[in-house]
Amino acid sequence: MNAIGEFFVTPIEIGGIQKALLLLPLCLSISIVYKVTRCERLADVPAAVGALWVTIVVGMYAVGVGLWVVYLLVV
Amino acid sequence: MPDPAATLKLPLIGILAWLIPGAGHYAIGEHRRGIIIFATIAATFWGGVAIGGVRTTVYPEKKSLWFMGQLCGGGHALIAYAIGESSRDRLLAQNLTSSQARSMSPVQLAELTGNLVATSQWGSAEIATVYTGVAGLLNILVILDALVRGDAPHQRRIRRARSPAGAIP
Repeated sequence: MNAIGEFFVTPIEIGGIQKALLLLPLCLSISIVYKVTRCERLADVPAAVGALWVTIVVGMYAVGVGLWVVYLLVV
Repeated sequence: MPDPAATLKLPLIGILAWLIPGAGHYAIGEHRRGIIIFATIAATFWGGVAIGGVRTTVYPEKKSLWFMGQLCGGGHALIAYAIGESSRDRLLAQNLTSSQARSMSPVQLAELTGNLVATSQWGSAEIATVYTGVAGLLNILVILDALVRGDAPHQRRIRRARSPAGAIP
């Protein structure tokens, strides 16, 4: 199998902090696709994507931290 | 010059948008929008496959609900499924039938074939599945948007008919 094929077959080992960081590109993808479909002018997309991306990321990490605190209090 | 959107039927736009994310927008003349959508969804889907490995990421026998979401990504999911199936088949021991192999977990298969690198750790497998599933679900949004934009002449006719003076607002 060639190198490119092997790249998509062999899983990548990821650690704890890397799992949390992988939220960032996923949220960026969601933001881009959503705003590209919503904005009539493509020139408005970068700013709108940035604002939405920050909103989602901050919101998701806030929820994560909140649930972690609840877990620490309960367990 | 005829409107490119008017020359394409809506079902064709929908099928194009499903098969190749972004192609629906490209077909109705929204070239830059289509290219951005294609690049973003392709990067998300194949990024996910690269994280978890195709054998455990696109795996309808074990992740049927996620596979439905992945299938919304059209051609990406079909290609990944074909690669995953052929890759799993290559791992089969000689005395296993294909149906027996499909009933086994990736870990069992890997242990049997001695190819542990074929499976991914819990974290990467789950994250990869989410990436590919989200990419597929995003394409539903894209398909609907392509259909609405493709039907823009029809919407203009409706607005013209509803306005009192018959003019486009």
